[in-house]
Amino acid sequence: MPIFEVAGKQYEVDEDGFLENPEIWNQDVACDFASSEGVTELTESHWKVINYLRSYYLQFGIAPMIRKLCKETGFKLNEIYVMFPSGPAKGACKLAGLPKPTGCV
Amino acid sequence: MSETRSYKAQKLVERLQVKVNRQIMLSLEACVHCGLCTDQCHYVLSNPGDVTYAPAYKADRIRKLFKAHIDWTGKTLPWWVGAKSVYTDQELEDLKDTVFGKCTNCRRCSLNCPMGVDMAVFNRMARGLLVHVGVMPEGVAVVAKDQWEIGNQMGVLKEDYLETLTWMEEELQSEYNDHSIRIPIDKMDADVVYSINPREAKYDPRTIAEAAAIFHFAGENWTMPSQGWDMTNFGLFNGDDELGGAVGGRLYDAVERLRGKKLVISECGHGFRSTRCEAPNWGKRDVAFPMESAVITMLGYIKQGRIQVDKSKNSEPVTYHDSCNNARSCGMTEEPRELLNLVCSDFREMHPNRAENFCCTGGGGAMSMTEYAPRRLKSARIKADQLKATGAKIVVTSCHNCVDGLFDLIKHYKLDMQVKLLVNLVASALVVPERPSRKMRPLEGYKILVIDDEPDIRVYLGKIFKDQGCLVTEAPDANQGMRAIKADRPDLVTLDLILPYMTGEKLYWELRKDQKTADLPVVIVSGYAAVDSPRIDFFGFLAEKRLPQPNGFLEKPVDPEKLIETVRAVLLEKA
Repeated sequence: MPIFEVAGKQYEVDEDGFLENPEIWNQDVACDFASSEGVTELTESHWKVINYLRSYYLQFGIAPMIRKLCKETGFKLNEIYVMFPSGPAKGACKLAGLPKPTGCV
Repeated sequence: MSETRSYKAQKLVERLQVKVNRQIMLSLEACVHCGLCTDQCHYVLSNPGDVTYAPAYKADRIRKLFKAHIDWTGKTLPWWVGAKSVYTDQELEDLKDTVFGKCTNCRRCSLNCPMGVDMAVFNRMARGLLVHVGVMPEGVAVVAKDQWEIGNQMGVLKEDYLETLTWMEEELQSEYNDHSIRIPIDKMDADVVYSINPREAKYDPRTIAEAAAIFHFAGENWTMPSQGWDMTNFGLFNGDDELGGAVGGRLYDAVERLRGKKLVISECGHGFRSTRCEAPNWGKRDVAFPMESAVITMLGYIKQGRIQVDKSKNSEPVTYHDSCNNARSCGMTEEPRELLNLVCSDFREMHPNRAENFCCTGGGGAMSMTEYAPRRLKSARIKADQLKATGAKIVVTSCHNCVDGLFDLIKHYKLDMQVKLLVNLVASALVVPERPSRKMRPLEGYKILVIDDEPDIRVYLGKIFKDQGCLVTEAPDANQGMRAIKADRPDLVTLDLILPYMTGEKLYWELRKDQKTADLPVVIVSGYAAVDSPRIDFFGFLAEKRLPQPNGFLEKPVDPEKLIETVRAVLLEKA
């Protein structure tokens, strides 16, 4: 199992770098994974997105549509891409400790 | 070696006999092991010294099965021609590792084979044999299941897809301050039916909006189907012809149902190849309408002067990555370049290019096979070098799969580059034409739903609205009206009160109760007279239920000018 090492901590991840056990997620995970996805600082806006993804995932077991994410958090599509340069699927979902989205991504 | 086979190995051997056709047989027979293919493969070039990546070696993992069970030389002299069957589940796992994990079916080796061996055709067959007995990467299984069961590879539900389209329509209208921009859904007899990759709907619908803007400014008569809209096809990747035929068939059904004249496929290499070239064969059906890549459609608009572009709007250095399915397998090499030279000012070729280009390393479904990601990225070194040598800041491709493959390797090799699709560049180069005067047709583009049980009235009202440039739909009763509103929310509804099954006032009540439609403008157009139908007391009903007044109220017979005046006031006040 690959290990993602950061700031003296170790996380078990899949080969694409997504948290292997989504249930062990806590806020430290988001902070520790942020720099690997080009996020330099986690602002209140980032947390709003991360917390929404997290709660949606816990309820439904999948990542939400970008439409739902924007509607519920009130952010514009482009704002999401500015906040998370690697996008909602690969960037924001990784920080929120979701498994890698399925399909061509 | 035990001669008894595991259940799966036995099933695989039986399936082999069915799946080997003449094309596959030729490719399996023709190899002379000259080794010319070796240096063509990005896996080999990025992993020097590892023979297990060599195309001829990989092919022999499949060829030995063919020799053992079908070819006469293998039956007669098995030790001489390397014939060897499979017996254990572990051997199937090993085969999986080769056919899914060490080849993206990019066909670069095939192109450079003097004997004409098409590696991808039997590698895909081998994948299909394994899928038949349930041996495949988990990601491939999940995606194929979603495509079988939900109808698209990301499990996007119909209502979410439709809501996303409506959202993009609203964004476009506000971006261009133009209420006439539409994303028409299920429009009959359109000249273009547009299909997309589910990734656009699920994660990045900006490309949907960009394409819609291009269609709009080109004055295209276009639509998107409410179902059968996923043009990707995992049947190409997992070797399952039944899946491939079913997925392609849904698109063909959608176009036929809408009587569309042409299917346009958004930028996706494998989706284009599957839909345009392969799925009619997999599904054994004739397709009577033309199918084209959106690249060709966009190029056509510029060349015919239907849209204007300004290439100085894309001034950063750009290079182009040919998708293996578009360029090598479908021959689309010149159109994207012609288009790029029209929409950006600094285009630089990557070498090698066109049909000789190297794979993005994410092809053949590799992006969904997480277990092979480290191997994929290691093997991307050759691609990274190729990108770097161009000195470009943007790599453009015409394939969503390539976008993701390239994005990953750019991050891995820390290249300072962005990945874009052609539609991104065309949309950003668009020169928006001056809007024609709105005085003549002030209601251009507004969607009006006419609910009335009398056909004559529907035609009459519809004609008045159409003359104003409105898009009119009709419903003969409240139930059908409700369904129409839910399927495609209009900008305004004209509502008759006396209707069969459910009265207009009941429908009005339902609309106002529902948060989603509480603000939908409704103009009552009714032969309201207590004498005619004493059962209807609309205003009493409003008071009793504490409902807001309707946005307009007109009594039949309706004066056309009064009708337009009322509707215009409601719509323009809202805008």
